[in-house]
Amino acid sequence: MNINSLLNQEQSLQEIHSHQNGQPQMSSHFDPTSSHDDFLEQMLSSIPSSTSAFTWDVSSVAGRAENQTPPSSLLSQFDDQSALLVSKLRQHQISSGAAKALMLQQQLMLSRGLAGNGLRSPTGASGGESGLLQMPLSLNNGDHADVVDGSFQSANPANDASMQGLFNGFTGSLGQTANQSQHFHHPQAQNFGAAASPAMNQPAVSGSTGGGTPAQPRQRVRARRGQATDPHSIAERLRRERIAERMKALQELVPNANKTDKASMLDEIIDYVKFLQLQVKVLSMSRLGGAAAVAPLVADMSSEGRSSNGTQTASSSNNNDNMTVTEHQVAKLMEEDMGSAMQYLQGKGLCLMPISLATAISTATCHSRNPIATSNNLHTSNNPLISGEAGGPSSPSMSVLTVQSAAFGGNGAGEASVKDATSVSKS
Amino acid sequence: MPSNHNSIKTRFTYRFARSLKKLNKNRPASQSMKETYRRYHMIRVASYASMASAVGPKRAWSRAVLWKIRNRTLHRTLMKKSRIHVLRTRKVSGNPNDLRKLVPGGEGMDFCRLLNETAHYIKCLRTQVQIMKNIVDHCSN
Repeated sequence: MNINSLLNQEQSLQEIHSHQNGQPQMSSHFDPTSSHDDFLEQMLSSIPSSTSAFTWDVSSVAGRAENQTPPSSLLSQFDDQSALLVSKLRQHQISSGAAKALMLQQQLMLSRGLAGNGLRSPTGASGGESGLLQMPLSLNNGDHADVVDGSFQSANPANDASMQGLFNGFTGSLGQTANQSQHFHHPQAQNFGAAASPAMNQPAVSGSTGGGTPAQPRQRVRARRGQATDPHSIAERLRRERIAERMKALQELVPNANKTDKASMLDEIIDYVKFLQLQVKVLSMSRLGGAAAVAPLVADMSSEGRSSNGTQTASSSNNNDNMTVTEHQVAKLMEEDMGSAMQYLQGKGLCLMPISLATAISTATCHSRNPIATSNNLHTSNNPLISGEAGGPSSPSMSVLTVQSAAFGGNGAGEASVKDATSVSKS
Repeated sequence: MPSNHNSIKTRFTYRFARSLKKLNKNRPASQSMKETYRRYHMIRVASYASMASAVGPKRAWSRAVLWKIRNRTLHRTLMKKSRIHVLRTRKVSGNPNDLRKLVPGGEGMDFCRLLNETAHYIKCLRTQVQIMKNIVDHCSN
């Protein structure tokens, strides 16, 4: 199987490399039990962003392949380009240094991945490109954030830039400059985070590797600043991205979250938590509600709790039973005096509104709220304690307390009572 | 996950109402200041405990709250005097330190996890406040 042989190739190369350079960090990064897609993703993710792609000059490769290939039985299945890369790798392992050799190695793995994809498709060049186009799709499917091995996940920015580097290499010029500008306009790049762009805009010079490269000066891959292959920096970058992600999630929860500064955002979060805890304290002080008031409440709760066991349907039916009592009372009150009916409802935290308005509001905002029972003529919410959301201090909440008493004069059949504040904020 | 959150709401309301009923049943006849404030404190603790048990042991902060409360009932004076040194982290730097003090169980985790727990804690605090408000409105008829 191609992939298995790829795996064996990588491991043997790894052993050679680590043996020669005494750097065992790459050898621990392979998981031989991974599936095909995982392996591709791993290979792609471990590649540093390569600005200048390697040439696909077959003729020169063929010439070299005869001289410097390792045991040909190993490489017989692959493209000649991989042979070129192996030869270059050997050169670099001998001449320049560990980092560049690592980069070339990863390049080699990428090319092998392409070759592996390319083997499935008819022609070489188009196969390479189709492999290239397939990869962003698989990258989109993969969920990089959950893979355990931190150093392997040298981040979506690295993937992004490396993919774009290859794309430029394929479609762009064959005569590369060492420092290509970082404005890649790969259409699929937009799927990746914006964190890629600052990383991509950094100059791609690694000074030590710029020096003596006698044979092919143009295909040398330079390490980007800030994206070195050092696993510590990769783990650091990953950690920073996770933190940024979580800060963004927190920003949505906390109101007044338009601060871009991380420190001020933290201050906001701290203040908000303090505020909420203070609210709990104040509310617990005010709750000296008599036992009489609490008892029927608890009766409601217990009946709901036992009958529903957390499911919504049974509880909603119970709630409907409970609400019909309220509805009857409201109807009785309304016969006498509209104002007292209103006051009664408002005391319960409900209000009256025409059905059209209620449906409009509910379809617009209540997609995540408790299911509002719409089967009755009277739109009732669930138990008023649980339904809706009163909203935070300044969260965007729609208050449905507008009572259109004038409308009720002509709207005898249409009445609805909805819990007052329906929040549009996500929760 | 809205569905999970709705069930948390239900569980919290049920437990909190039950504990309120218990507290109100044992209401002392005397209306001294000390008793009143003590009752406030118990209601507050009951609120946090109901939320933490509604969330369950899934979250670090809820585990910390439940652990603290359980230990508090067992060793009241002991907990006041001695602090738990096991859970202290090495880094203390400005903001995250304050946040760690606010979020229960925040002392012993790294910053990334702290942010995660804070997000869930904020969500649950909001729910708690909202439901308590509703109860107050309901009872003040």
